Amino acid sequence: MKKLDRLDWAERLTLSAFGVRAGVRVNVSGLLPRVLPLLPPGWTKSHRVIVERLYSLVVAQGCERAGMRRLHVLYADTMTVARDAALDQVLAALETDLHRYTAEATSDMTFLHAGVVGWQGRAIVFPGRSLSGKTTLVREMLRLGATYYSDEFAVVDNFGLVHPFARPLGIREDSSYAQTKYTAEGLGAASGVKPLPMGMAVICKYEAGARWQPASLSQGQGALELLANSFAVRSQPHQTLRRLHNLVRHSVFIKGTRGEAHEAAASILNLSCARERLETT
Amino acid sequence: MKERQSPRARVDCLSREFGNEVLVYDLQRGVGHCLNSTAAAAWKLCDGNRSPPQIARTLSRQLSTRVDEVVVLLALDQLADAHLLVEPEVPVERLSRRVALRRIGIAAAVVLPLITSIVAPTAAQTASCVQLGQPCASNGQCCSHLCDVLLTHRCL
Repeated sequence: MKKLDRLDWAERLTLSAFGVRAGVRVNVSGLLPRVLPLLPPGWTKSHRVIVERLYSLVVAQGCERAGMRRLHVLYADTMTVARDAALDQVLAALETDLHRYTAEATSDMTFLHAGVVGWQGRAIVFPGRSLSGKTTLVREMLRLGATYYSDEFAVVDNFGLVHPFARPLGIREDSSYAQTKYTAEGLGAASGVKPLPMGMAVICKYEAGARWQPASLSQGQGALELLANSFAVRSQPHQTLRRLHNLVRHSVFIKGTRGEAHEAAASILNLSCARERLETT
Repeated sequence: MKERQSPRARVDCLSREFGNEVLVYDLQRGVGHCLNSTAAAAWKLCDGNRSPPQIARTLSRQLSTRVDEVVVLLALDQLADAHLLVEPEVPVERLSRRVALRRIGIAAAVVLPLITSIVAPTAAQTASCVQLGQPCASNGQCCSHLCDVLLTHRCL
């Protein structure tokens, strides 16, 4: 760390997001404005000097010599997170790592790996790991009129309410790993602001050609599925269990294999509407 | 091998009730379990004082229906497999599930005990992975679990 500290740092920023304090410093001036959109939604500037994690972005400067590539390097504390000739890629790595660290380190909220939309005053949550098709389903729900909350994290508070983490949707085109970013507004949808109680959790995975015939899960089984997607269950088991308990109180769970997202999305919204009608009568 | 004495539930686990199910988190092993109503009721009665026949009688009273001792033994076997009971000093005789089901018969009056378990993920396992062609520093970051750390420092 001392070696890094000895470098000339042109700009630095201390931020607080969900109670986690992190710092970012860069060695060239004028770069921070490109970093700001990558910070966790709802971040604020912090005036504290001590941070829990310090990102150091060393941008390669000077002329390239023949046979030598100049690489930009991102460190989290002393650990190398990314090293690349393309600055955009290193900035993307900063975004991923900072969001992941926030999800893991915060004790204010419990982060679940899940897509979330708002529908008729309730949150519909799609827990699932990478490549399970969360974002595709979220995008389809937005097309049908749902409000965008997140394509990556369900952020749960002490009362079991789901808060928005409305970063731009990272959509993987053509079944590749590469993502293109879209804002909810760019897709014609609104982003949610108000925390919502969870009305339904949908556990599903994509399988080409599959028919969407979900089965219902009990609350305990559903809570176990959420536990399997929670970031800090190992480090904060008490809080995680307590918040999950509050989260699932008024929720139903369905599980199944889906084919194309539009079929499943329409069915999920219909189910949610039917449940709403049942509750009001 | 000896017959089961009085099983004792581990007390160093976190538990929460969800309706008549119980979610148990094993802090030592980092494993979550969902106990259905019968397994949960049996687990709660494992206080180290009650024998399986006594647990069966108490369960029968609680559920207002006859609970066969075999159901309790089946629950205890599953609880032991999930490491939710204090390990007995002497290994106990286990009941095969097939034998148990044959003895219980098709028309069991209670729901058969069932425990579903998951290993709690680490934060890194939970997070979205780094995609193909994006920068990485270790294999664990990549969706493919392959990071070219020698040349390109990108996920393969």
